[in-house]
Amino acid sequence: MSLSPLQLCLLFSSALFCVGLIGALSRSNTILVLLGIELMLNAANINFIAFWRFGPAPAAGTGVVFVLFSIAVAAAEAAVGLALVIAVYRHQKNIRLQEANRLKG
Amino acid sequence: MNGHYASLLHALLPEASLVLGALLVLGFDLFSGRRNSASARLSASVIIGLLAIAAAAYHACDAGVGGNAFKGVLVLDSLGLMTRLGALGLAALTLAMAPGVVRLRHPAEYVAVVLFATTGFTLMAVVQQLLVAFLAIELASLSLYILAGFDKHRPESAEAGLKYFLFGGISAAFLLFGFSLIYGLTGSIEFTEIARQLQVTQGNTLLVVALVMILVAFGFKAAAAPFHLWAPDVYQGAPASSAALIASASKLAGFTLFVRLFWAGFGPVAGGTGLTTLPGWIPAFVIVAVVSLVLGNIAALAQTSVRRILAYSAIGHAGALLLGVLVAGRFGPASLYFYAATYGLATVGAFGVIAVVERAGRCDDLGDLAGLYRRSPLLALCLLVFVLSLAGIPPLAGFFGKFLVFSQALKLSGLAGTAGWVALLAIAMSAVALYYYMLILKQAIVVAPRPAAESAIKVPTPAAAVLVLTATLLVLLGVFPSLVLQLIH
Repeated sequence: MSLSPLQLCLLFSSALFCVGLIGALSRSNTILVLLGIELMLNAANINFIAFWRFGPAPAAGTGVVFVLFSIAVAAAEAAVGLALVIAVYRHQKNIRLQEANRLKG
Repeated sequence: MNGHYASLLHALLPEASLVLGALLVLGFDLFSGRRNSASARLSASVIIGLLAIAAAAYHACDAGVGGNAFKGVLVLDSLGLMTRLGALGLAALTLAMAPGVVRLRHPAEYVAVVLFATTGFTLMAVVQQLLVAFLAIELASLSLYILAGFDKHRPESAEAGLKYFLFGGISAAFLLFGFSLIYGLTGSIEFTEIARQLQVTQGNTLLVVALVMILVAFGFKAAAAPFHLWAPDVYQGAPASSAALIASASKLAGFTLFVRLFWAGFGPVAGGTGLTTLPGWIPAFVIVAVVSLVLGNIAALAQTSVRRILAYSAIGHAGALLLGVLVAGRFGPASLYFYAATYGLATVGAFGVIAVVERAGRCDDLGDLAGLYRRSPLLALCLLVFVLSLAGIPPLAGFFGKFLVFSQALKLSGLAGTAGWVALLAIAMSAVALYYYMLILKQAIVVAPRPAAESAIKVPTPAAAVLVLTATLLVLLGVFPSLVLQLIH
């Protein structure tokens, strides 16, 4: 069975998304959870590029523009995330998620 | 081409005034803040912020209902206009109750971030294209993460912000992945073009994956079970005015976008509401709504914290709002809008009361509300109106929101369809909800104050004005619901 380039790209991005999701859900270090989220976002970016490149109308450039914006959003998200990590670190002196358990019920 | 940009500017003037207002707030504080006390800085920032919101509301009315703008990226219809005005109004209420109630070290930044979040909400109200929708959602969400973690002195606030961010970040990735698959399947990111393409393509696995991912992401944003895990922690830990904004305006704008995306964009693959369901997104919707209704209302019974009760009741309300999205396809979004707007008003009011009580002591446990009627009759009376409206007692506005949504769901296909049964479940769950709402009111109105905390609570004037205004609106809209309903076609 031979796969078209588009299918290979989709397989790759799906694998990346799953790796990111597993990382985000299983890690206890907050920075590594952030890394997982970034992987998931980039998997979606690969999708956009693949659909744009192998899609019916590559001239329109919609996919590329979408990716440019989503990279900018991911950067903003990382900035906000790291700021919140620092805010938590100031109180509990580490960034382990298990110890962020003041709120429960 | 110039005409396009002129119309774009005209359509986006509300957002422009909000951003300009946020920059003005920061600039004004930069130059004059150092000389003034923290409360004076907060008051000045709030006044500028309210002026910006007023300007945005004026421009939103001025843009009016002109149909598609900027080649169909935005749509200016009555739903968009009313959602914009509703989100602006709710944001204005949360801002106006802040002076004298919320203690902040960086008041100007707080007001600016609230204005940025509001910009996201008003943009969500009118967008009908995936890229701008994603940007609007992210602008609103990122601002809300910051607002949740804004109180640097309390570890709970930072923790709430971090948890909200981590869940929200994962849901944003789901949303983007779903959008990318929709783009790949239809070759377009415009809602109308997506609908046209989906009519001709047959359903396939990729489409199901895309719809499920987008539904998961919206479930996170709307705090619908089983994606609700962040909500109780955030409602409990965030500063009260931030929690009010997260619970009210973001819900209203989110559900408007929800209706647009799922009915205008994915309408052709909706599936049926019959008991023998066609494949589509409606069955998945029904499952999420049922789980939210049951889990939210049952779990709220076990809570002892006022804020957590409000959070679990929010999950239950999210289930009812999802039912409102289902009926919006046949009966129009008016009932959903009315439900979301009145729910938002009541929640803002309830968090306002919590904020004022917190100012005088603490307000975490239910017992902290004990004897509120003696400590401050005004607060107790307002809380009575808000909680009864949340519970859906006539003649308050919450009752008509529930009545409209549930009666339309029953009309959809009677008991031959799933929607009718979900409506019956929602009515039964309203009775369950009444119990925990009454627990709050019992503490506030019947129980005598604790000996340690029986001093009178002073309500600052702005907060008192906001609470009275909100309560009046709830009564007014309950008596004359057509005031709002006739404005949405």
